[in-house]
Amino acid sequence: MSIIWTVLKKECLDNVRDKRTIIASFSLALLGPLAFAALMTFFLNRALGASDEVIDFSLIGAEHAPGLVSYLESQNTEIKMIDVAEGDDPRALVTSGTEDLLLVIPPNFAERFAAGEPNSLALIYDSSELGSARRRARSLDAVLSTYGRTVALMRLQLRGVDPMLASPIIVRDVDVASPAERAMMVLTTLPYLILVVAFMGGFYLAIDSTAGEREHGSLEPLLTQPVTRGQLVIGKIAATSVFAAASLVVFLVSFYLAVPFIPLERIGMSLDVDGGTILAMLAVMLPLIWFAAALLTVAASFAKSYKEAQTYLSILIMVPTLPVMLVQMSGVEASLPLMTIPSYSQSALIRNLITAEPITTLEVTVSVICTCVLAALLTWLAVRLYRRENILI
Amino acid sequence: MIEVQGINKRFGEVQAVREVSFRAQDRRVTALLGPNGAGKSTTLRMLATVLRPDSGLARVDGYDVTADPMAVRRRIGVMPHGSGIYTRLTARENVRYYGQLQGIANAQLEARIDTLIDQLDMTSFADRRATGFSQGQKVKVALARALVHDPKHVILDEPTNGLDVMATRGLREIIVGLRDSGCCVLFSSHIMQEVENLCDDVVIIGGGEVRFEGTLDALRAASGRDNLEDAFISMSGLEDNA
Repeated sequence: MSIIWTVLKKECLDNVRDKRTIIASFSLALLGPLAFAALMTFFLNRALGASDEVIDFSLIGAEHAPGLVSYLESQNTEIKMIDVAEGDDPRALVTSGTEDLLLVIPPNFAERFAAGEPNSLALIYDSSELGSARRRARSLDAVLSTYGRTVALMRLQLRGVDPMLASPIIVRDVDVASPAERAMMVLTTLPYLILVVAFMGGFYLAIDSTAGEREHGSLEPLLTQPVTRGQLVIGKIAATSVFAAASLVVFLVSFYLAVPFIPLERIGMSLDVDGGTILAMLAVMLPLIWFAAALLTVAASFAKSYKEAQTYLSILIMVPTLPVMLVQMSGVEASLPLMTIPSYSQSALIRNLITAEPITTLEVTVSVICTCVLAALLTWLAVRLYRRENILI
Repeated sequence: MIEVQGINKRFGEVQAVREVSFRAQDRRVTALLGPNGAGKSTTLRMLATVLRPDSGLARVDGYDVTADPMAVRRRIGVMPHGSGIYTRLTARENVRYYGQLQGIANAQLEARIDTLIDQLDMTSFADRRATGFSQGQKVKVALARALVHDPKHVILDEPTNGLDVMATRGLREIIVGLRDSGCCVLFSSHIMQEVENLCDDVVIIGGGEVRFEGTLDALRAASGRDNLEDAFISMSGLEDNA
């Protein structure tokens, strides 16, 4: 046991000092949740922006078009009436940043309106500015167009023309995926992300402690020490597990801190991630961490050089997401037999944990036992590989 | 004492070692001499228990390398070809890791490491990370690592490779010191001149077979040449190829 501990400590110390390993092991874990929260927030804001955001803008020349203004007021708007001195350019108000969205009604509006001549209204905003001005300008434009269309139709009707003649084509938008649903799709990527984080966390340590050690010639003297190959390999797998677990902890903490910033409550949903959920997620993942460490170590033990191992493992890292994708694509419902599959069972359990769906003890037990049995088999295989003579040649 | 009796080792088509037999005595420095590819490293690797002989017997202190590798490993200190130290660890950490693997108790281990650092003149770089160490410094770390458990038998594969004159001289002093303290030192080399100043007994290997075993004087006498290099060339079978 103390030998395994010695190997574990040495591999961790050795790799903590390697910047490349640290960056590769922890950057996804740290930044993943932030990207995740940003994406969710983006889709949710789009969803909310389209329906119930108040159009807030400033208006010059309200007195010239009382009818239009009272229509605008009846819509979901908040209007700030302002005046400018004659000869001043209203555009300056926007370029200077005093106003971000400005509607200008010309003085001769009523006159031209009565004569049936077209009126041009200026909608001034800066599209290069960050913020919501552009989105509000589009909404306001839509409100104004609706008003214009209504007026036009009434005029046609007054002149005895069927208003339908003016609308030969009517397009109806039917977008099945609402932005809110897209936000939910982002949520379903979370279990994948967790799987990849667990595998990435151990990726470089698994390579360094096996193929790397072979390449640097440090394996041969190591094998002359009075320790069994089993002790060495288990120590290496344990060190890989420590890195994978550390990476997962970083991910979960980062996720826990990022969740409150996602405006989920505005679409009537809540993500229940308190400390307990986070710990439960970690607990569910622990057997998979061992599995991942053993799998990476076995694969890297076949390679003679760091580069070769990197190639194998880059392909291997896609494997854990396969069962999840296959099950999702084939539309099979989560069921007990599927809980025997490592990575699938963990992602299903985590999905249920996040969405506060019930989880049975039986499901967890099957997941833990099956993943641990497979991890033990892989560990045994890794030890077998190290007993071969040509691990050195 | 290290005893080898008729060991064979084949890698695929290549018979790397053929019926090799020799002895390396305690309190003696024995050189395993031969051209590149003669089978020196393979022989040493079998003695170091990392390769298994196909047939034959190899014993360290009476313990069989195949039957009881753990007992052998506790009695040997091995420095393989190329130092193979961990470059992100300090010299001291490299030595400490092996001491821990040997199961040496902590307080005892730290004292032993201090002694080795002192003996091998490593004080100036003991606590620096091994990245950028010179070849001589790397060899010293690897040697300290091989000696941390105070082994009775020391196996060194081409220890002088890549060392400059001063470093070679330092290594020679260390090896002589080990011999005088009662160790059995077995090392390999392909350079006759450095062997001359260093070893008591020579085993010449060529083409996987032992061509000569005995003292330096016996080698001169047997080959009929005074110059050791000529003796080496005629004995190792290099002459036939030239």
